[in-house]
Amino acid sequence: MTISSAAVTALAGTVALALLPVVAPPYYVGLMIPFFGYAIALLGFNLLFGYTGLLSFGHAMFLGLGAYGAAVLSGIFGIKQFEVVLLAVIMTAALVAVPIAFLCARYVGIFFGMLTLAFGMLFYSFLFKFYHLTGGDSGMRVPRMNILGFAFERYNKIEFLAGPFYYYCLGLLVIAGLLMWRIVHSPFGLHLQTVRDNAHKAEYLGVHVRRFRLAAFVISAAFGAVGGAILGFRIGLADPELVYWTHSGQLVFMAVLGGFSNFFGPIVGALTYTLLQDQLQSLTEYWRSMLGMILALIVIGFPEGIAGLAADLPRRLAQRFV
Amino acid sequence: MSTLLETRNVSKAYGVFRALENVSMSVAEGELVSVVGPNGAGKTTLVNLLTGLLAPTSGEVLFMDKSIAGVGPVALADQGLARAFQLIQIFPKLTVAETIAAAVVSRQKKRWRMLSQLSADTQIHGKVRKVAEIFGLDSRLDTISSALSQGEKKLLDVASAFALDPQIILFDEPTSGVSTADKHTMMKTLLGAAKITGVKGIVLVEHDMDLVSAYSTRIIALAGGRLLADLPPKQFFADPHLIETVIGKRRTH
Amino acid sequence: MSAFANILAGGVFHAAVLFLVAAGLQLVFGVQKIVNLACGSFYALGAYFGITFISYATQLGISPWLIFPGLIVSGILLGFIGPPIERLLRTVYGRDESFQLLLTFALVLIFQDVFKFFWGANPRSLDSAYLIYGTLNAGDFSLPVYNLLVILAAIAVAAGLGAFLQRTNYGRLLRATAENRGMAEALGVDVRRIYAAVFTLGAVLGTTAGALVVPTAAASLDMAIEFVIEAFAVVVIGGLGSMRGALFGALIVGLIRALSIVFFPEFEVLAIYVIVIGVLIFRPVGLFGKSLA
Repeated sequence: MTISSAAVTALAGTVALALLPVVAPPYYVGLMIPFFGYAIALLGFNLLFGYTGLLSFGHAMFLGLGAYGAAVLSGIFGIKQFEVVLLAVIMTAALVAVPIAFLCARYVGIFFGMLTLAFGMLFYSFLFKFYHLTGGDSGMRVPRMNILGFAFERYNKIEFLAGPFYYYCLGLLVIAGLLMWRIVHSPFGLHLQTVRDNAHKAEYLGVHVRRFRLAAFVISAAFGAVGGAILGFRIGLADPELVYWTHSGQLVFMAVLGGFSNFFGPIVGALTYTLLQDQLQSLTEYWRSMLGMILALIVIGFPEGIAGLAADLPRRLAQRFV
Repeated sequence: MSTLLETRNVSKAYGVFRALENVSMSVAEGELVSVVGPNGAGKTTLVNLLTGLLAPTSGEVLFMDKSIAGVGPVALADQGLARAFQLIQIFPKLTVAETIAAAVVSRQKKRWRMLSQLSADTQIHGKVRKVAEIFGLDSRLDTISSALSQGEKKLLDVASAFALDPQIILFDEPTSGVSTADKHTMMKTLLGAAKITGVKGIVLVEHDMDLVSAYSTRIIALAGGRLLADLPPKQFFADPHLIETVIGKRRTH
Repeated sequence: MSAFANILAGGVFHAAVLFLVAAGLQLVFGVQKIVNLACGSFYALGAYFGITFISYATQLGISPWLIFPGLIVSGILLGFIGPPIERLLRTVYGRDESFQLLLTFALVLIFQDVFKFFWGANPRSLDSAYLIYGTLNAGDFSLPVYNLLVILAAIAVAAGLGAFLQRTNYGRLLRATAENRGMAEALGVDVRRIYAAVFTLGAVLGTTAGALVVPTAAASLDMAIEFVIEAFAVVVIGGLGSMRGALFGALIVGLIRALSIVFFPEFEVLAIYVIVIGVLIFRPVGLFGKSLA
């Protein structure tokens, strides 16, 4: 993807998102906050999956860290500034990720997937069982916090979420996107991709395979925590279900749906999944199987995901009309 | 002429099986040393020792007078030792430019730069272009590696090793799979590239005796894990017993 | 003391059920190199269907003594889902393992609603008809004979599978295909038929295990996604692809579960994950697994 076509896409997307609260009913605007959370988390997830080739089935644990971090810091320690919470959960997630990555980065493929799944479920059990600390399956409350120093007391929760907080999260997504773009197109990002494509050869070209897998893991954890904090803020609750392995599976679903070989794929995937789940839930109580069938369809027929299809569209159209 | 790479009384045992027994050899500046021998003679083990993949059971492996026993390929790539394999190794999703750039990034020690953009780095670009030109790949810089022809893939594989600016390159049967007519062209390209990029020593593992006799400064023959000979080509090929052990008896029909 | 023995017996029963599912997982992984996240769904399917089957049979007036063989039959009947699901998975053979894993995850999602559709959102259970087999008593220690039958059945299956794989020609064929598919194909083995057969066998082991468990536990929607974790713990501890691994892994997980209920109630499930992580770190191939292919 050339820089200019990516810039156009990003700009168009940002403008569209910025205009949404003006044109769309508040219900849909409210749906978008989780989208922002997932989009940021998925940008990080895809650094690990699409760019480094490691499929984690426990990534939701970092979203959980973000949400519970927000709950602990603002609910228990009374910290009111969301920015402070964000910084804190980023550092916590990165710190937690280091030993986990150290243990997991030795492996690839199925063993990496299983190990990350085990760690995720370990965290889940901890959250569930130690209810004195964590509230067990009732979770922990995430109170409303100030953004950029403002409390926006005039706004009730719904107005706040559809207004100031919406634009705040959009801003966070833009920042996260710019940051991830730079990372992915840096020398570091190139080395990550060599690890994905052929770790053996990469070593012979001086790529520190293990260290870089670790680094990608840590960065993805940090992004995940930010996403989780946003989710926690939005729902007002940090819940162990956030960390269950099927939630990690949902993250993978979103990435593949959007297209994990494409930079914007994960964002597209998060948006599509959010809207799709919402629509399906209103149509039928059996929405899970619908999503399952869509996932199966993507995996079998369209492994490049939506973004992959879109990127391919000009070529396919050209072939039709030649 | 300084010694670049050497083994001193090196042995490697796997349990009871002794893959290498007391082998001493060296590669000096300006030399192309060929390693020959029948299958199972220990060539691969020797090369793995020389490239830091294995640690010897006894003896020393030294690169630029520093022990490199078992340090691993990444450390050696940093120190100036590169290796190209027999089976073509590429990065399927990366372009020719990106593949070469990966090596250049290592060489220029920019691997931890997460926020600077590759596309803006003229130092890297310049180097990538230079290396690509040596191997005639400069017109294919933006082609995805998986779309290259077999021959181009081979060239890319080798080019990326050269992009490390190594002092020594180890070639594992570089012309295998290449047609006989092209073998010499390939060797000449490799040697030419070595000269331009300032490679000071080459180790060649080869089965093709034509190439070995044409291009080697010295030939090292292994058999049964032991050093059989360490001679310049003229003397090597003058010894029928040697040739028989390494290649096999000439059949008379 | 006998409370302890009771809990241990419960652990062994749980291990028996775990073994059956894990054996199925190992077979499928060993031969086809697929990790089936839907193994828990097969298990739940067996449970739900087992309840329906037995309830129906009871209505028809069939003797309650036949509940044990009845449940086994109901599990085997479900084998028909094997071939079509395998056919679906076949579309992604040879692709990256992530895709195979994701396809089985899609199956998990689909199955969740299948259960909801046919059996509703509430847990289902059988009444205590299984107690018709009576209980073994020794002081305070009591073990329902039904549980003993299940344990014996699991042992029989273990022995049978072992003999099948090691001593029959078809078993040898399976092991050969597992070891080197290309070679097997070159030797004229119809690998596709083998894959279909192996997957069906794996499915049947899972559904039968689920069926056998319902007299003692309820079938619920959570069953499918919770069980996957335990089954995975078993195969990781025992070693991917190994039958012996399934047996010993199941015993270890079953007993650890039981023991931690006694000694560390808060840590119950945590203990298993810690062991899984420990195994993956110190001995990633598990107790009996082969290389980290």
